[in-house]
Amino acid sequence: MKHVFVFDPDRCCACSACMIGCMDQNDIDVDAGEACYRKTFDNEIELADGGVYCAYLSAACMHCTDAPCIDACPVGCLSKDPETGFTVYDNTNCIGCKSCAMACPFGAPRYRKSDGKMVKCDGCNERVKNGLQPACVRACSFGALTCVTEEEYQASGSNKACSALIDQLHLRKK
Amino acid sequence: MTELEKKIKAKIPGPDTGIEVRRSLCAICSPGHHCGVDCYVKDGEIIRVEGTREHPYNRGKLCTKGSSLRNYVYRKDRIQTPLRRVGERGEGKFEPITWDEAYAIIAEKLNAVKEQYSPHSVAFFSGYCKWYRPVFHRFAHVFGSVNFGTDDSTCSASKVIADKVTAGCGAGPDMGHANTFLGWNYEGYYSAHLSVEGVRKLKERGGKVIIIDIRQTPAAKNLADLFLQINPGTDGALALGMAKVIIDNGWADMDYVNQYTYGFEEYKALVDQYPLDKVSAITGLTPEEIYEAAKLYATNGPACTNYSASALVHHINGFNAHRAIVCLSALTGNFDRAGGNVPNPPTYLHKPAGFKSRENEFRSDRYPGGQKRIGADRFPLWDAQFDEFQAMDLLRQMEEEDPYPIKAIFALGMNAKMFPQTQRLLDVMKEKLDFFVDTDLFMTMTAKYADIVLPACSSVERGEVKAYQGGYLTYTQPVIPPLYQSKSDVDILCELARVMDLDDEYLKGGYDACMEWIFDGCGVTLDELKKSELPVKVPVAKWPAQPGNCLKNGFKTSTGKFEFYSTAIAKIDPMYGLDPLPSYYDSLSDQNDPETAEQYPFYLCTGARLPHAIHSRTHETPWLRSLCPKPTCEVNTDDARRLGLSAGDVVELSSPYGAIQATVKTTHKTKPGVILMLHGYTEANVNELIGRNHLDPYSGYPGFKGMRCQIRKCQEVK
Repeated sequence: MKHVFVFDPDRCCACSACMIGCMDQNDIDVDAGEACYRKTFDNEIELADGGVYCAYLSAACMHCTDAPCIDACPVGCLSKDPETGFTVYDNTNCIGCKSCAMACPFGAPRYRKSDGKMVKCDGCNERVKNGLQPACVRACSFGALTCVTEEEYQASGSNKACSALIDQLHLRKK
Repeated sequence: MTELEKKIKAKIPGPDTGIEVRRSLCAICSPGHHCGVDCYVKDGEIIRVEGTREHPYNRGKLCTKGSSLRNYVYRKDRIQTPLRRVGERGEGKFEPITWDEAYAIIAEKLNAVKEQYSPHSVAFFSGYCKWYRPVFHRFAHVFGSVNFGTDDSTCSASKVIADKVTAGCGAGPDMGHANTFLGWNYEGYYSAHLSVEGVRKLKERGGKVIIIDIRQTPAAKNLADLFLQINPGTDGALALGMAKVIIDNGWADMDYVNQYTYGFEEYKALVDQYPLDKVSAITGLTPEEIYEAAKLYATNGPACTNYSASALVHHINGFNAHRAIVCLSALTGNFDRAGGNVPNPPTYLHKPAGFKSRENEFRSDRYPGGQKRIGADRFPLWDAQFDEFQAMDLLRQMEEEDPYPIKAIFALGMNAKMFPQTQRLLDVMKEKLDFFVDTDLFMTMTAKYADIVLPACSSVERGEVKAYQGGYLTYTQPVIPPLYQSKSDVDILCELARVMDLDDEYLKGGYDACMEWIFDGCGVTLDELKKSELPVKVPVAKWPAQPGNCLKNGFKTSTGKFEFYSTAIAKIDPMYGLDPLPSYYDSLSDQNDPETAEQYPFYLCTGARLPHAIHSRTHETPWLRSLCPKPTCEVNTDDARRLGLSAGDVVELSSPYGAIQATVKTTHKTKPGVILMLHGYTEANVNELIGRNHLDPYSGYPGFKGMRCQIRKCQEVK
């Protein structure tokens, strides 16, 4: 069953619990300079009318249907998991060339200094296959970040299921 | 990688992976929360933490801080053994000793002070967390000292006392039945994550939300129908101004006022001094905003109000500001009514659970008396209303030894950074104390001044009894054994009680003996609790709390009414100048002389909540620290432009009392003239800037959230 991440900016406060959930799941060693695979943003956008829009966002790999990182990798580390639809990887052969990061419109793949390899969010693929939620979703107290099946997503038809970037274009005010 | 290896790497629990889920609670933040946690344990080590879905309190949710529980527990600087100081106090040089040696030294030194001076010259002091407090409190009394104090001297108790002297008790918002929510200082996203859903539900059924805050917050953006960005420290004036609007427009519930309240005429005379234009000038809000908020609150009822535990009362006018806000609830007939604010007394350790425990009796039935508590002469209202010493007078009493000397401090988790002018307190402790023992998980700035330091364990390494909303009680079991040689705080107290042969069977009997007595009669035994990994419904619990008790049986005040005019305050000697009415005065009234005002033109507000921090408890937790690595002050963008400051610049913040360095974050979320700074950093302790006498005379609380300061760019980045 294919899964999609859904982000609702009207519920987010950039509290970063999602990031901590990711760190806990992936044993991120921040003292060694490592970063987790998700990032929150607490941005203030100055509007043309003099007002300010406070944007609270959470972003990671978007698990694109036609993910450009897959084609960009010269050694074939990246692939689509046919079951979950997540963009997964095995970096055993990774040469750290960063082509995947360059190809990604969101800059999701990151270079890890400690072993010279690329790492990224895999949607907690194994957790989802075992009936658990991705760690970041599990850590969100506000329903801002959810992970649903493609069927559920289609059925919801909700405006709220727009991505953060689209929302920024709308620049909705209160 | 095999399928099993993949599952182990992904931490999937199960017999095949050898990963077991064990349950406990997170005690990083205030005991008003303490969410249930699922700890994934493999080979005796916690490898992941999630909120427990089946837990009746948090239903699977954890906040940012709780999500980092594993990183908190396994911090590399956990204290491993009992330690004896070998260097100077504060130097941080210690040698390991055994528990037996530590207990023997503590017993000898405390008894020596008792003999040479008096038992009251030993002050017992507790920081976070609070689970052991009934045992510790009793320990102090059985030892013979009246002086038991805690962080309540700066946290929440001011609100508790203000509620008590006004309505006889506190009352929480009945969100489920309200049409309007007055979110005064409400920022649930940052400090009460489980509360947000209730506000959303109110909105979904058509209810209205008013948010009053000094900064643009996620609650203001996501929840508010009406957002009032108020000048800091002026909330009391706003509440009085709203009351005048409500009375003048005939929106007051006069039947309620006549039947259930006391002192309305005096109150009305007070609020008449706060017309809209005056309140507008004080609060920085437009008359229209104030009018609309008052109208919505008073005419779209029932309306409930958020009473913040600390945000307001951390101004030197905060006690009265809180009273003024509570008075609005009675004025509009919302106190003790469905959809308004409904009294729900705590069962155990601040948690309401719909039944009574014998916590207070356990704490206080061995009160020795025979001496005044610390702060009694200076803060008589506090002393009359709260069963602890007011620690904001500890520094003075140590210095002046008046009315008697304090020669030893026995502390669990003492945090000197909680005190204004922290370093002054530590210097005086260094100079004046014969003996100081501190217990903590980590080698803190304060512990470095101790003669003996004892290693405590965390919540997941011990068992503890805890009550929860809904009528629940739990007795958690350790998820892992205590790390290194650490012990639970209560085990430390009870073992010491045996070594000292204190005259008390409960203390010497241990934690279970204490808990059995406290929870006797609730219909559940400790053994039954221990067998359940989830909280158990207590048979005698009545939940939810029903409104109307005060209205039917009388308020627990001397008049039996809700008191706009507080008879408890009227009893305090007039020489202290405490007003029985919730009158307003400036939150900087002690530093408004022209010279100070000119030199320190900015309004410093410290400790406004951010999601990754609670006091100093998580600043050294690597995952959380990585979210904001540098001590940061928030400066209004226009101010920053005017001062030539950019984001990332290092500045010096200063007051007449001290100076610290911080990194600038520019923001539109605060008003010009206001600077926000998170507290609790050892290397940038903003409480050094708060004057030791910058205190609310009613409660003794420091004006943490309202202090004059200056900001200037540092030329050289250190």
